[in-house]
Amino acid sequence: MIQSMNEFFQKDIISVRDFDKQKLESIFDATNKIIKLKPNDRREIGRGKTLGYLFYEPSTRTRLSFEAAIASIGGTSIGISNISSSSTQKGESLADTVRIMSIYSDVLVLRHPLDGSSRFAAEISEKSVINGGSGTEEHPTQAIQDLFTIKKEKNKIDGLKIGIVGDLKYGRTVYSLLSALSYYDVDVHLISPESLKIRTDSTYEIKKRFSFTESTDLEEYIDDLDVVYVTRIQKERFPDEEEYIKVKGSYVIGLDITKKMKDDAIILHPLPRLDEISAEVDNTKQAKYFKQAEYGMYTRAALLGLILNEKGF
Amino acid sequence: MQESDLIVRRIKDGTVIDHIDQGRGLRVLEALEIDGREGNVITIALNVPSGKSKKKDIIKVENRYLEDDDTNKLAVIAPNSTVNIIKNYKLVEKRRVSLPNEIERIFRCSNPDCVTNSSEHIESTMDVIDKSGLVLKCRYCSRILDVNKLKYY
Ligand SMILES: [Zn+2]
Repeated sequence: MIQSMNEFFQKDIISVRDFDKQKLESIFDATNKIIKLKPNDRREIGRGKTLGYLFYEPSTRTRLSFEAAIASIGGTSIGISNISSSSTQKGESLADTVRIMSIYSDVLVLRHPLDGSSRFAAEISEKSVINGGSGTEEHPTQAIQDLFTIKKEKNKIDGLKIGIVGDLKYGRTVYSLLSALSYYDVDVHLISPESLKIRTDSTYEIKKRFSFTESTDLEEYIDDLDVVYVTRIQKERFPDEEEYIKVKGSYVIGLDITKKMKDDAIILHPLPRLDEISAEVDNTKQAKYFKQAEYGMYTRAALLGLILNEKGF
Repeated sequence: MQESDLIVRRIKDGTVIDHIDQGRGLRVLEALEIDGREGNVITIALNVPSGKSKKKDIIKVENRYLEDDDTNKLAVIAPNSTVNIIKNYKLVEKRRVSLPNEIERIFRCSNPDCVTNSSEHIESTMDVIDKSGLVLKCRYCSRILDVNKLKYY
């Protein structure tokens, strides 16, 4: 039987907004397939293929996850990390760097501090571009990883009550996660300090598809949530340190909080974490953030496999 | 003869932008870069009575014919305006401005961290996602833009 062409072949992955439920589910199916494959068979999927990465912001975690993903399917990676703004001032434009990298590789991953950088790169690149995080805008592969984790650990996504906690204004993962969740039938509670509430100029279209509640009180819904998604609250987002310390303390997940949570609830975090989840929580059965990191490698391997193979795998 | 015709004289050649939403006349001038430096006669009428209890602004520019790009700008700033092209005292073309599906390189994205505001060679593209409510979205950073705060290139 001839398999039909897969819809991700040679496509860009720029924004979760370009997705729908069916597309997400087909990536999840491919991820489950990757997990089941023997390492030797897995390595056939990306054999001879090169992933090129361009990281204009430090992000060891995302870069490593992509490098591990391409290696697991038998490909190789080349790239530049920590491209500093000073060197680009002297050197090349983003456009030229992307052009050159697209000559050397079969698929590109771009992490860049500007919003919209990946869409721009995709217009220039001859090869598929994967958005590895653009400004405060989007981080689509993180959202795919997050939803896959929820699905694996809760056996479903529809019907769940999901709380998203922390810096919802500047945290790019939150916008991608919300977009992705909006394709499902879920109850979402956003919990953040007043000054870090979600940006309304980025949620216009999400709000057309589903609604969510917003509050500043972590404990208000905690006993009812199936998923608690925690993000970093960064010091540099606050005008003064006192305010930061005050705010930070009210959103820390410690054992006092996990005891109030449902037994089968799960805690996720895009990592790296600072102290928003206490180390003692790591040993609870609700802690799933390291599992989430592992799934991240598989979802990225699946995505790369789909982009690189016309008939899927 | 309408009251407005009495206020603003007829022109021989040029463009009459009529039915500009009251209060938007000066913004239209700015957007179309009509500043009189070309030396053409420009007539501006603000708060002209138009129908029952309504008012409008009118701009007449002699010896200049508005182009499509200009009409697109008008669609965002003064969506109810009409563009009348006059040649030899005759109305040769009457256009209602209408919002296109996308607006290219007229406005800058208001998000300072948008790639279209960087040193890269790239011009803004905005998708009109709601024509009646006039909602614009930057195609690159995907922010919803406040039409009243947009700056021109
Ligand atoms: Zn923008």
